[in-house]
Amino acid sequence: MFTQGIAGAIPKVMTDDPERFEELVREHQAMVFSMACRYLRNRALAEEIAQDVFLQLYRKLPSLESSEHVLHWLRWVTAHRLIDHSRQEKRRPQSPLEDVPEPAAADSTGSADPLLSEMLRDLVASLPENARVVMILRYQEDLDPMDIARALDMPIATVKSHLQRSLALLREKLSRTKGVGL
Amino acid sequence: MNLEDELRAALRREDPSLGFAKRVVARAQSRRAPRKTMPRFIWAVAIAAMLVIGLTATYEVRQMKAERAGRDAVLALRIAADKLNSAREKVVRREN
Repeated sequence: MFTQGIAGAIPKVMTDDPERFEELVREHQAMVFSMACRYLRNRALAEEIAQDVFLQLYRKLPSLESSEHVLHWLRWVTAHRLIDHSRQEKRRPQSPLEDVPEPAAADSTGSADPLLSEMLRDLVASLPENARVVMILRYQEDLDPMDIARALDMPIATVKSHLQRSLALLREKLSRTKGVGL
Repeated sequence: MNLEDELRAALRREDPSLGFAKRVVARAQSRRAPRKTMPRFIWAVAIAAMLVIGLTATYEVRQMKAERAGRDAVLALRIAADKLNSAREKVVRREN
């Protein structure tokens, strides 16, 4: 699923080689940026946080031993950075999904419907912090619950519970919305 | 399409704005440069300051020792002079 790319060769020398570090950033930028963007629903803020994560990676590179280690480290740091950010900054007031207003009805329910996708992104972004990160790792990164548990240092039962509860809430919210039943 | 497929479509990855990687590298480099030069500069200043303080302290200690030795010598001369005077007075009294 993930390209090995620069991966085989690792990172101890990368801090002295800007081009190789840039290649490493290109390899992982979509993952880190998209996690932040889906979580925050704010592209500018997501880019800022993604940049900070990569700068932290740059300092950490000499102690990372393999491409898998880099990938795991990036997921872990991005997830925790996002959770910390929303807890500390409280830029968006946290509200349970039940309290989020009903999204506007979509015109169609076909696949990749832009309106439905937008509604789903809004609903995912309104989930509590941990559930939101779990959903992003499950459906953006296509990780199975075991990998999510490992990536977040979270019991697998908690991951499964977040997934089940979030999916149920999303279904309920969408079914209440006229024209959307999944 | 079911909800999970819709979620995968809605949450699929997307790239940041153009030039993102270059901006990250530029920031990493700009943070790195002062880090390399600053410690050297700080070390040089610290060593120079320690040398100045050390030399000044050594000079001050030597000065203090010299002054104390001078004062001790003067005191010793005064004591010796006092004793000589009292001895001379005794001799003069006996002769009278």
